[in-house]
Amino acid sequence: MYRTAAKRLLGAGFTASRLLRLPKPRPTTIIPYSYCTSSMESPIGNQSVNPNQSDPTAAREEGHRRDESRKPRAEFEEEQARVLAASLRHVPRLGWTEEAMIAGSRDVGVSPSIVGSFSRKEAALVEYFMDECLQLLIDRVDSGLDLQNLIPSERVSKLVRIRLEMQIPYMSKWPQALSIQAHPVNVPTSFKQRAMLVDEIWHTVGDGASDLDWYVKRTVLGGVYSTTEIYMLTDDSPEYRDTWAFLDDRVKDAFDLKKSIQEAKYFAQDIGAGVGKSFQGLMNGVMQTMSTRGGRSSAF
Amino acid sequence: MALRLLSRRTLGSRILSYRASLHSHATSFGFQQVKEEEKSKLVGNVFTNVASSYDIMNDVMSAGLHRLWKERLVGKLSPFAGMKHLDVAGGTGDVAFRIFDAVNSVKRRALRKVDEASLEETQIYVCDINPNMLNVGKQRAADRGLRDNKSLVWVEGDAEALSFDDNSMDGYTIAFGIRNVTHIEKALAEAYRVLKRGGRFLCLELSHVDIPVFKELYDLYSFQVIPNLGELIAGDRDSYQYLVESVRRFPPQERFAKMIGDAGFEKVEYENLVGGVVAIHSAIKL
Repeated sequence: MYRTAAKRLLGAGFTASRLLRLPKPRPTTIIPYSYCTSSMESPIGNQSVNPNQSDPTAAREEGHRRDESRKPRAEFEEEQARVLAASLRHVPRLGWTEEAMIAGSRDVGVSPSIVGSFSRKEAALVEYFMDECLQLLIDRVDSGLDLQNLIPSERVSKLVRIRLEMQIPYMSKWPQALSIQAHPVNVPTSFKQRAMLVDEIWHTVGDGASDLDWYVKRTVLGGVYSTTEIYMLTDDSPEYRDTWAFLDDRVKDAFDLKKSIQEAKYFAQDIGAGVGKSFQGLMNGVMQTMSTRGGRSSAF
Repeated sequence: MALRLLSRRTLGSRILSYRASLHSHATSFGFQQVKEEEKSKLVGNVFTNVASSYDIMNDVMSAGLHRLWKERLVGKLSPFAGMKHLDVAGGTGDVAFRIFDAVNSVKRRALRKVDEASLEETQIYVCDINPNMLNVGKQRAADRGLRDNKSLVWVEGDAEALSFDDNSMDGYTIAFGIRNVTHIEKALAEAYRVLKRGGRFLCLELSHVDIPVFKELYDLYSFQVIPNLGELIAGDRDSYQYLVESVRRFPPQERFAKMIGDAGFEKVEYENLVGGVVAIHSAIKL
């Protein structure tokens, strides 16, 4: 959403490199210096933390630890990303679990204790994967994906297919990932990630919608994407042929739906106009009759 | 001219006294000022006296809540099979037993794929400076049938000078122990030294309450009720007077978090429980 808005503002020359890195939702505040954060447990009150801007004793560490807004990522976030990336290799075997992350951390050469510090552990892994896939999709699009010769519905199909194909290596464990995303705690983030994905696809297709249409389009595509994703879970056909056929049908339906709604709108307008005209004619007739009758009666 | 001289002198004396308090060789023992060398001896006496009734007093003073706090601490740690963990000032073994159970529980093993070899490798070291506390812990282990279990290792040692190798521990916990240490920075530096890269530091400690009305109630409870309980149950009013005073002297959450950051740790966070009566500070070594 941010990328498309930015593009509209700044024109076609704007390139968003890694800007779509989703900030992990944190209920805490971060002090730039030593990354002190406070999280609330007791329901009694909130504590707000004032960032320490300057600290004379910080000289030793201040060199590479400046304001977080300037430095793209903190060291522990980099380490976390590295561990999660290594963990993905173990997911087909161990699932989206702590064990996969422990194995990943061992691959990177870090103590598995670090997994304990990830917030919402398994969800962190799934969300990382979703972010990576979105980034890959953007990269594919940027590096010249040929969409010129396709009509919009085919473009949407192609993009959704590309995105879903990224999940094929993890297909055996994908139901687990879906259930993790569906946990109430994780829903806000997973919803946001899917919204960004859908927005990205529509933007690439060349969407010029605004107002209510914007929401309708994204909701419909979100529905198409989710149903195809779930269909794919039980698809046994070679190379997921059935899934792509299913996808094409759904996308066509969605576009047809749009056409049908438009047609219905025009139809209603026409009927309205027609009814209005005939009603008007009726009223004119009535008025004339009344006026002549009234005239005749007054002459009585 | 005279005014400027005067102000410079007061400024100078203020600086001098500030430096003096930084480098003084006096430290606090509760609200008393004592020499540093004496503090560890005095603390030693306190814990020798209370060792036998330590657990009961904990239950009474915190109305059993200390168990929940320790559960939360171990939950945050997320122990895994094969981990090398060090629990400092963990004399009677509360935290160590919980970690042991978390790793070895049958339910956990059934749910997750854990191979037996890594289960064997798990080592939980319980380090305490006071042998009496360690003996109580060993006795409790024997009561649970863990006397000869190789995973639990009881070590006598000083938090400021640990006898473990560099980069040897996956986790380090210190529950209700760090305020008794004479030099907190040294203990933190030692913690940093023994932890592996990616290892976690967790500290559970009584801390400062800021909430207006609750603070007064808490102070009332601390200074009026606890020493009397100490006298009644443990027969030792002074030790518990020391306890509540040492809690007040311990740095507040923010300052302690800063000290942890100064020792080199990353991602320093703290979580207040019961409005600040207890705080769990956590950090990672990277």
